[in-house]
Formats: sequence, C-alpha cells, structure tokens
Amino acid sequence: MIPENIIGKSISRVESAEKATGTAVFTADMKLPNMLFGKVLRSPYPHAKIVSIDTSKAEALPGVKAVVTYKNSPSVIFNTAARTAQQKINQVDDEVIFGKVVRYVGDEIAAVAATSEEIAAEALTLIEVNYEILPAVFDPLEAMKPDAPQLHDCKNGNNIATLIKLPMGDVEQGFAESETVIEQSFKVPVQKHCQLENHAAIAEVSHNGRITVWSPTQTPHTAKNLLAKIFGLPASKVRVLNPPYIGGGFGARIGFCGKTEPIAVLLAQKTGRPVLLSYDRKEDFIASDTRHSGYITVKLGAKKDGQLKALYINAVLNTGAYASYGPDVIAVLGTTNCSVYRVPNVLFEGSLVYTNTTTAAAMRGFGNPQGNYALECSMDILAEKLGLDPVELRLKNIIKPFDKWMLPYPCATSALEDCIQLGAKSIGWERRNEPKVPVNHKVRGIGMACGTHVSNAGPWAIQYDNAYLAVQQDGSVLVTVGITDMGQGSATALTQVAAEALGVPVEKVHVLAGDTDTSPHSLGSNASRTLYSAGLSIINAADKVKQQILDFCAGEFGVDSSELSIKNGIVSCKDPNKGQLKFEEVCDLANHKDLQFVAVGRNKLSNAPPWIAHFAEVEVDLETGEVEVLRFVAAHDSGKIINPTIVEGQIEGAVLQGVGYALSEQIVYNDKGQQAQDSFHEYYMPSIKDTPEIETIIVETEEPSGPFGAKGVGECAQVPVAGAIANAVANAIGDRINELPMNKERVLAAIMQKEK
Amino acid sequence: MFQKYVFPRNVSAAVHLLNEHRGNARIMAGGTDLILDLQNGKYSTDCIVDITRIEELKQISEENGNIVIGAAVTHNQATKSFLVQQNAAALAQASAAVGSQQIRNISTIVGNVVSAQPAADSAVALFALDAQVRVVSADGLTVMPIENLYAGIGKSTIDSTLSLVTAVLIKKVEPGEGSAFVRLEQRKALTLPMLNTAVKISVKDQRIKEARIVMAPVGIGPVRATESEAFLKDKMPSEEVLQEAGRLAAENANPRDSLVRGSRNYRLAVLPVLVRRALEQAINNAEGGGF
Amino acid sequence: MSYLQLKCIVNGDLVELDIEPSELLIDVLRDRLNLTGVKKGCKKGECGACTIIMNGDAVNSCLVPAARAQGAVIETIEGISKTGRLHPLQQCFIENGAIQCGYCTPGMIMSAKALLDKNPHPTKQEIREALAGNLCRCTGYVKIEKAVEQAAKIIFEITEGRGTSK
Ligand code: FES
Ligand code: FES
Repeated sequence: MIPENIIGKSISRVESAEKATGTAVFTADMKLPNMLFGKVLRSPYPHAKIVSIDTSKAEALPGVKAVVTYKNSPSVIFNTAARTAQQKINQVDDEVIFGKVVRYVGDEIAAVAATSEEIAAEALTLIEVNYEILPAVFDPLEAMKPDAPQLHDCKNGNNIATLIKLPMGDVEQGFAESETVIEQSFKVPVQKHCQLENHAAIAEVSHNGRITVWSPTQTPHTAKNLLAKIFGLPASKVRVLNPPYIGGGFGARIGFCGKTEPIAVLLAQKTGRPVLLSYDRKEDFIASDTRHSGYITVKLGAKKDGQLKALYINAVLNTGAYASYGPDVIAVLGTTNCSVYRVPNVLFEGSLVYTNTTTAAAMRGFGNPQGNYALECSMDILAEKLGLDPVELRLKNIIKPFDKWMLPYPCATSALEDCIQLGAKSIGWERRNEPKVPVNHKVRGIGMACGTHVSNAGPWAIQYDNAYLAVQQDGSVLVTVGITDMGQGSATALTQVAAEALGVPVEKVHVLAGDTDTSPHSLGSNASRTLYSAGLSIINAADKVKQQILDFCAGEFGVDSSELSIKNGIVSCKDPNKGQLKFEEVCDLANHKDLQFVAVGRNKLSNAPPWIAHFAEVEVDLETGEVEVLRFVAAHDSGKIINPTIVEGQIEGAVLQGVGYALSEQIVYNDKGQQAQDSFHEYYMPSIKDTPEIETIIVETEEPSGPFGAKGVGECAQVPVAGAIANAVANAIGDRINELPMNKERVLAAIMQKEK
Repeated sequence: MFQKYVFPRNVSAAVHLLNEHRGNARIMAGGTDLILDLQNGKYSTDCIVDITRIEELKQISEENGNIVIGAAVTHNQATKSFLVQQNAAALAQASAAVGSQQIRNISTIVGNVVSAQPAADSAVALFALDAQVRVVSADGLTVMPIENLYAGIGKSTIDSTLSLVTAVLIKKVEPGEGSAFVRLEQRKALTLPMLNTAVKISVKDQRIKEARIVMAPVGIGPVRATESEAFLKDKMPSEEVLQEAGRLAAENANPRDSLVRGSRNYRLAVLPVLVRRALEQAINNAEGGGF
Repeated sequence: MSYLQLKCIVNGDLVELDIEPSELLIDVLRDRLNLTGVKKGCKKGECGACTIIMNGDAVNSCLVPAARAQGAVIETIEGISKTGRLHPLQQCFIENGAIQCGYCTPGMIMSAKALLDKNPHPTKQEIREALAGNLCRCTGYVKIEKAVEQAAKIIFEITEGRGTSK
C-alpha cells in the first residue's frame, strides 16, 4: 500500500475511541494493590506562622498510616518551575513541601495517608495547629510598599520577586519624536484553568527506593528532576508518567500538579504503600496555580499618519505566595507584546510581586493575554485619537518578516496582514461605523485585536527536546517523546509527522508520550511548543533512521547509498534494473542480520511567531450591562497545518476561554483573604449556552524552522480575545472599561458614567 | 452520614417514620441540596426518608380550581407540564432556569421551597403566584401560605425531621391574569441568579386590578415589592407606569454586597429594569395566555 | 452500620450489591463496579462529568444516593456500545473532533443520549439546553454541538431505514 500525503489531513485522534467509550484511564481511575488515600490539611489563614502542631490524635485514628508535616519531610527549597528558566531570567527558589510559615489560604500544612479517603479526611480534623497570625497583603501595588507585610526576603524591594527591563532603541527619544501620545492603565483579574480533571497523583516506592509517580503533569521530565532534587535521589531512580490520559492542562500542570506529586511520594515513602492523592475541586481552585492578575500601563507614541514611534509597557503582576513561573511569565508578557508592531523605540518594565494569594504561574498564553489586552485596547484608543480606522492603524504598523524586533530569533513568516483582511471581511467591519441605535435597549459593536505568540520556550527557558524512534522488525514504527498529550491532540499530529517523515502509513506508527522512562529529556507540553519541538525531534530521528536504512540497503543492492531513495514506504535505486525493496522487507532483512534501525532525534533550538487576528461582534444591554458575544472570527497563521480539525479545536476552545476571561471569569479575595470563587458554581466559565458562533480562518505559511512548516497554535487563540471584545464593547457603548472581566456591573457603570 | 435509607409507600408511612425516629430521620425529595448539606455538615441524620416513590406526590393535578404540585414533582416535570405552562407561566419559566438539565431532572419544586434559599427560582415564582402549601405532620394536615415557610436565610419553618410539605397549590388563572419570571445571571446555566423576580398580574378593562411582585435575593427569602404593588393598582400599564413600578420596587429591596453575585449598588440599579421587564411579560402573558 | 441490598440494572446487567446507605451512586459505579468512565469533576452537581442515565433521565450521579437506584435502570458510557459497535454519538464525537482531553466526554455523550432518546429531532436550542449542565474547558463546544446534530441525523436514518419511525 502506498501511503498518501498525511500532512494537512484531519485524521481522527488516535485515542478518541478510548475516550468516547469511557475506557480511557486518568490518574484517579487507577487502583493499585494496597493503595492508600491521601488528604492535605490547608491553611485557613492568608499569612501565619505555625507555632505548634500536634498530630498524635490523627495518628491514633484507626486506618491512618502516616501523617506528614514540616517536622518529618524534606526541607529542600525549590521552585515548581524546576530551573527550566535560562539564566537571564532571575529564577527564585522559595517553596518547600510543608513550611513553618503559611502564605495563602490553602497553603499546605500537613498530609495524611489512610485506608480510605473518608478516614484521611477525618484525620485532618484531628490535627491540632496553633498559629501566630501575621498581617497579610493581597494587592501587588500595596505589597510593593516598603511598610507592607513581607512574604519573602527580596533583594529588589519589598515583596518584589523579580524586576525586569527590556529596552530596544531609545524610548524617550521615540516619544519626543511622536506627534500623538496616549497612555492608559488596565487591570486584569485572576483566571483559573478549570481543566475538568482535578489534580491528582499516585506514588509508589519500590523496595530499592525507586519512585514511580503517575500524574497528569504536562512536563514529566521536569517533575522527575524536581522530585529527585527534593528527595535527594538520582534522577534515574525516579519515574514520572501519565496514566496515560490527562484531563486538560492549560498550564496548570507544568511542573507539578498542585503539590500532589511530592506529597504523594512523601506519603508513599513513609508507608511503603502506593498512595493516591486526589485534590477535590475546591483544592484545585484555591491551591493550584492561576493566571497572573495585575496592572498594566501602555504608552504609545505615533506620527500623525499613525506610524508608531515609541511603545512603553509597564506590568506589575501579582505572583501570589510563591514565584513559580512568574519571572518567565512577566518576560513573555513583555517580549510578545513588544513584538506585534514595528516600533523603533521600545521599553518594557515588569515587577513581579508576592502577595498572600494563591500562587500564579503558567496559564495558556503565559502573560501574553494580559499584555495583549492592554496593548490592543491602547491601539484602539490611539486610532480614535488619530482619527484612523483601527484596522488601518494596525495594517500600517504590523511586523513584517525579517523586521527588526527585540527577539533573538527572526520573524521568518507572517500572514498577519491576510488574517486581518480576511477577518475584517468576515465580521463585516464596515458596519462598525454605523450609527448605534438601540433595539430593545440593546446596541451592537464590533472590535478587533491582533497579536503574536511563540512556538517554543526559548530564549526564556531551556527548549531542547528529544524523540526516540525505533523501527520494529515488521516495519512498524514506535516513537517515544517526553512531551504529553493533555488533550491538545499532539499524539495524533506527531503520528502524522512521523508517518510523513518516514513514508509509512499512520496506522503503523505509534507515538508514546509522557513517560520519563521511555524517552530522553523533553521540556514537555507548554509554550505552544509540543508539535513544533517534538515534531522537529521526530523528523530528525526519522532522517537518521532513513540514513541507516539507505546505508543498509546500499550493501544489499551493492550500490552507493546516494544512489538510493525512500519514498512511500519503498526503497528504490536510481538504476531501475536493481529492483526495489518494501520497507517491511528491508526491516525483515535487517533483523536477520542482527540489525535494528533506531535513532534519537533532537530539535533545533529555534522559535517562530504564530500570528493572530480576532474580531468580535457584541450586543450590550444598556439597562443591565450584559454583554453577549454574538459572533467571533478567529484568523490564524500557525504555519503549515498538520491536522486542520485539531487546530480548529484548539482555536475554538481557546477563544471560549478568552470570552470567559473577557466577560465573566475571576477569582477575588474577601477581607479574610479567602478566595470568593472556589467552585464551578461561583466561577463563571462559559457553558455551551454562553458560546458565541465561532468562525475559524486559517491562513497557512511555510515556516522554514518548523516541522513541515508548522508553528505553534495551542495558546495563540487565547491571546487577543479580551482585547477584541473590549474594543467591540467600546464601539457599542462609546466608552471604555479598562478592567477585566467586563462583567455586567462594570459595563453598566461605564454606560451610566457616559450618560452623565 | 446516615445509616438508613427508606422509601415510604405513602404520606402517612413517611410521617410515621419521622415519629419513630424522634428527630433522627429526615425527609428527602430530590435531595440535590440536602446531599451536599449532609456532606458539609449543615445537617446530620440517621435515616433518610425518601419520598420520591410516593405515587400521589409525583403528580401535577387539578383540584377545586387549583393546580396541585406534589412534593416529588421535579423542575423538569413542571417546566414541561401543560397545566403549569397554562396556569403558572412564571413557575414554568423559573423551573427551567434552575441549575442544569441533570439537576432539574432530580430537584423538586417543593424542595426548592423547603431549602429556603433566598433566591430559589421556583420559590420566587410560587410567592408571586400566591401559592399555598400543604404540610403534614403527626398533628395532621395544615394548609398555609408559602410566605409562612421562611424563617431566615436558608432556614425554613418546616422541620423536615417532624413534618413534610406534600404539595403546593396554585390557583388556576382567571381571564385577564398572567405571570412571568425574569432572571439576571452571570452564566446561562449552572448558576444562582444575581437577581430574579416574578410577577403575577390581573388586568381588567385595560387597568391593572392587582399585581404581586416578588424579588430575590434582596432580603430574607423572596421579598414582596409592596410599594410598587400598591402603586400599580388601577393604573393603565403605560411605559411610564411600569418604569415607576420598577423604581418603587427597589424601595423594598435590601440586597447585600456579594463578591460572587454582584454589589448591592449594582443590584439596586438593575432591579427596576428586571421588575419592569417582568411586568411587561406578565401583561403579555395575561393578554395571550390563560384561556 | 446496616447494609442495604441494592438491586438494579446497570448497562443491561442485573447488579446485586451490598451498599452502605449513605454511599453515592458515583462512588458505587466507579469504585464498586469499576465503571470509571463515570468521571468526577466536582462532586457537587456543577460540572456534569459524572452524568449517567437513570430511568431514562440524565442525572448527576454525584448527587444521587446509591440507595435511590433501587430497582432503577442505569446506563453509563460503558454500556452504550456494548455490542462492540460504537453508538452514533460516540462515532460522531470522534469524527467531528469533539473530543480533546476527553474528561467531559462520557458525561457529555450521556446527556446527549438522554436528549436524543426522547427527542430525535432537537433544535440547536434544545441541544444547548440539554448540554448546558456539562462543562467542557477544551473544545469551546463548537464541535460537540455539531457532533450531536450529526448523530441525531444518523440515528434518524438508521431507525427510519428499519421502518420503525413515522
Ligand atoms: S462530578 Fe457530578 S456534576 Fe461534577
Ligand atoms: S474535552 Fe476536555 S473538558 Fe471537554
């Protein structure tokens, strides 16, 4: 059978039958013999010292097998980002499994392993803790003040975990040359990932001390290295793997899944039995990473004709109780948003600030959506001041391939201009200026925003990846990679890449992801890099294997290997008289000569910008402030598309997360420092009834650095959604809100303000 | 939690079980609230008396000019019932707004009342519809207005370890009567309302004879907009009149600041809009429905 | 603790089981019957991941006391392709790319099945109403809605082909 070209085909996902029939195994579905159940005791206070802790009553409860606190657990200080950041980013180690100080409501104090979850829960109520309550601070601007309660010792200023400054050109000079300058501040909220599967981990310790952990981590290798460090073991004695399925990630599971992995390991070590630690939804909400909230100010300077001369962005992000990925997040916020437009003079300044709130870390877009919202609202403000159409202003200024920008890698491809044009056409942009006549107290508005993102983690973080490719004796192909498929479809897209690279049918390829024992190092699934980096690694491995096959066949045919080629699963010679060999035949021959074709492939250390233009049409109820998104058009350049249906799915899902971010999602804190939203009931992520009509437009480019021309996609569609909706709301009501989410209350306040 | 779970065959058996357990048994209908309350420790009991298999309680029927909704009737059953749609539009709408399809398949109208949550959608509608409830205990049967059931936020005067509400009764619509329910929410499913309001109105010769306006959560239990009701009496329902009725309704409202469901100020600002819209719909319903 | 003898039909099989009166149906299905396709996303009726069909209606198994299943007919995701052939809904979810992480999928499919069992020609509104209690964070629901629409068509064609429909 001759395989057809598989790139660009919407084949069904390789695992979807398992998921559709309920047989797919997720972490908490697993049962190991003798398994115990863990539960965690959490701080009820936002900031306190533990004066004393008595676990004796809990230990005495029948069924309880271990109780762990700071007294009997490793005191190794770590960062869940696991030192994947490059030196230029000042990474901070500031966490231990259990500390003597708790810094947010939900911070871990102790854990119990018992024969049932109910007994473990009961044991928690028997642990007696005496606290010395410390003053707490929740807002980053407050926390930066010299007299604010201190969470950690910081050398950059009170509670400032990281200060970052990224200049290009001379921004002062740029503003001096500008004829129009605007400046605006924005406030962004805490958003939560809300992946449907709660965090969980199962740990098992073998007699020789080797640890195995099943968890839905997006980064098994990172988690493995971190566990090795915390427990003082060689990394080779730790295995982390997915079970194999992950119920969504969106950044919540980069590094650890909450602290489930280290706590489960600790309990397994103490008891000698496997332990399942499964967070409930409330724990997932209050005690696992969130998106960074904060304040962002944008200052833009332009010539009268709209040509941008200077851009200044200042971000103060709230990283919560621990720094985690904060330093990387703030860097990405700056670089991505300074790289959408061709501006000769740019300055980004960022402050990452500790407060007594849940730790903020990676979430889809990694800082970019926050900055993009501020930048894209500012572009509309500038357009209005200049009397220019927002589309026109953007088209005039967008980065073109090989323009100078602050990133160390080139912009080799961009279809942003096409994305903007096609999106504008689809939404009916010309209707934007029609007079706003309320019908039933409702007005409509249209808005847009555009942006860029990344396809890999560099230059901010380590970004190398490996793929191990082993051709089996029957010619089928096993590929193992250290990335994970948390639902984004990578296993399928990578199967297509491997099939194409080797010229074998997809049915003969199996891609195994998410197991540190089976693959060399990988940074895992984050930074929209999975297909890009693992794809490049697989192609590299396939190239090596192909060369091995050609060298082997050269001997068989008695020619030089340069005379041979592999195509569509057949090895043939330039000289047609020499005949040809099918892939299976070659493998069988090789096997009988004690040979297997095996290779480890490496990605190139490259990166590439995907491009996005989003358009929204909204309807605003002038009496209640309710905003409904009627239609959303998402135009994307993610390079060459490997699997269109999967890409559309990524875009649609991210758009809806963006709609929630724009209109309804937030976690706020009450005066006791508690999260006011700690369940789905109170946290308003959109339901199917809140979903607008979403149209996806794909404009393909051939990215020279990407696998078969592909770029990143996973995070992209979340980036400009809030900006597009904010600009549409402003178009509808004639006023701006400058704070997310634009819930009814804020929108109505703006409408009433305007009427005054 | 509980150690016993029983299905009585009829109401008297249910009452008997309660008596037998002397406060240690508790009535459960749909149980969508109660199951969570038992888990979080708000209630505890030894024995659950599940009334969802008592045939007579599962019916929606007509009786002496009343619609009788049994205590085991679910929200979805009510939403789809022709009798309810015809005679109590507000209740049909309110029932459809509860939680989700899955929840409405289990949760009951009467349970919504007995849980005594201030913003319970179907309870708000029943208030506006001037519903009566039948309560059965060892002392026998009593019928009382639904208002008498609220003892405080989340507190009912019905002690489910001693008695049970067997049904709610709603008067059938007369010509010129109509009702409506309007809800303001932050997500279109799986959420409690920021505000909800239900209205029953009767119109004769183009004038409003009577209006019952109920709002929540703006106080302990559903709250009547008495000022507004008085104002509307004998008025022609012009746009200005309805606007003013909305404005007056806010005078009876005392919402709290909530980080989840919106500030007091916002809710006071939009309440008049909701009331006006509910009145408009109810008038519409009075003109079109009920015959 | 007194035990309760639970008798019910689960996915077509008679199940007899001693349960504690306070056990929840979700736990009995997952832990006792190993039907782990019943997912647990919140245990509070707020996500729909645990949706099953009980006596023809979609319900959150996390809000149902197992004792209430006495005599009931229960269907879970594991039961709807028992013959080895995928249910049209499963097929359409797969083909339309309506499954990403798959954690919401079993509940989503069961809600959709409960709808189509009763209403073979649902409108878009009716589909949305039926699925509004099932949160999905991955897909944006676009392809899920499409999959249900397509499955409705296929089911109609199958039943009409058999001449069992009007
Ligand atoms: S687990 Fe039952 S609804 Fe979420
Ligand atoms: S597919 Fe992941 S939650 Fe729906």
